[in-house]
Amino acid sequence: MPQTTIYVAPRLAGMQDTIPPAVAAEDLARLFGRSAALAGISLEIEMGRTVALLGPNGAGKTTLLRILATAIRPSFGTLAIDGLDALRYDDAVRSRVVYLPHVTGLYDDLTAEENLRFAATMYGWSAPEVGDIVRAALDEVGLLPVATDRVRTFSAGMRKRVALARLLTARPSMVLLDEPHAALDGDGMALVDRLLGRWHEVGITVIVASHQADRVVGLADATLRLDGGLVAEVTGSGIRADSSWAAPAAAPAAFGSDR
Amino acid sequence: MSRFSQGATIALTIARKDALSELRGRQASGSTLFFAALVLLLFGFALGPDTRRLTDAAPGLLWLAIVFGGLLTVARLHQLEADDGALEQLALYPVDRRAIYLGKALAGTIAMLVLGAILLPVVAILYAIPIGAAWLPLVITVALGAIGFAAVGTAYAGLTVRMRAREVMLPLLMLPIVAPLLLSAVKATAAALGGDPFGEMGAWLQLLAAFDIVMLVAGAATYGFVLED
Repeated sequence: MPQTTIYVAPRLAGMQDTIPPAVAAEDLARLFGRSAALAGISLEIEMGRTVALLGPNGAGKTTLLRILATAIRPSFGTLAIDGLDALRYDDAVRSRVVYLPHVTGLYDDLTAEENLRFAATMYGWSAPEVGDIVRAALDEVGLLPVATDRVRTFSAGMRKRVALARLLTARPSMVLLDEPHAALDGDGMALVDRLLGRWHEVGITVIVASHQADRVVGLADATLRLDGGLVAEVTGSGIRADSSWAAPAAAPAAFGSDR
Repeated sequence: MSRFSQGATIALTIARKDALSELRGRQASGSTLFFAALVLLLFGFALGPDTRRLTDAAPGLLWLAIVFGGLLTVARLHQLEADDGALEQLALYPVDRRAIYLGKALAGTIAMLVLGAILLPVVAILYAIPIGAAWLPLVITVALGAIGFAAVGTAYAGLTVRMRAREVMLPLLMLPIVAPLLLSAVKATAAALGGDPFGEMGAWLQLLAAFDIVMLVAGAATYGFVLED
């Protein structure tokens, strides 16, 4: 079984002695028009933890992940990633966080290899390094034999594998996954599970939103359940979350047992 | 690697990616060229067989065809990104937003240059205009026009690509901004074809170059906001 190198973002300068939380959010809310996709949650996650983000459709999981990835800004609240103010230094945060969204974000007319070469260059690898990194990533996700095929010809599962391989071309300290098992076959799901384990081994913080609770909870240190844009339940270690600011009566403070 | 060379690498990588996608999606770029050539043909029919009238109108008609074709080109270059969430992914890469803008503007410039290089001989053939003697000033005019149009088009296509009525909004927002470019390019083309008897071509080319610089700087400075959802 291939074992590509997992690259990790270096610790930030000035934070060699102190370890800030991977995520420190206060009263995060995001409105779309008049509706609140995220209605006010405070969240603290220790570095290196794997957190399963659960909840029904419309609970706010994707919105939370997109805010953490800096794809959208919160309407209210503060957010620090690895000790960096994510609203002020979003450029710096982007070099530490990678995000696998619902959609794959691939270029249909490029081959799998060209898509990944593009991503690796954008993640700052030099031209001589790019080739090896891309081939190793393709090997890891089992797409090396079709590396020169255009993505347009791929099935949904193969596209998801290319998107997973793109994560392996980055040097993150945090990986955000939105329904990573969707569209994958049994081998593909096992690949995701294997990657979750390897990211955990090297100390990368992982937040994985999924409807496959049984699958991800067993791989996670903690679970965070959202409902209606609020924190509904927190279990496990290395995480604190509550929605007391938004709706103290409806969502009493929920704390996971800290290790 | 210095910040400049890193930015240049990113811009070239994006331009190469867009050019590859354009080349492989030949159907779309082919229909844009066909549409622009058809515009010239229809203008020819509308103006009638009067050679003098066609010669006088040729610079304006050439640039109208370039503008119409260019609108489709810059829109398509951003549509490539909008498909399947690639634009959001592009915005999440840890790279300077100015480099992303310049890369996409470079791809747009190349596509516009191809459009201009094909439409110039089409104008020469359809309207029986000898362009051989004026090829150098014509090439400079088309190049400066292509840079300016791509500079504006990249920024506005980025702004409108997520809108529902983007096909309407892009020309609505963009055409007033490119009016000075259109005017300068038409005047410079007319001067080049007429042998520049009044020595005005240099001034129009300078105006075009100034427009390009202002729009590139403005586009690079604002593209970060355009990428934000």
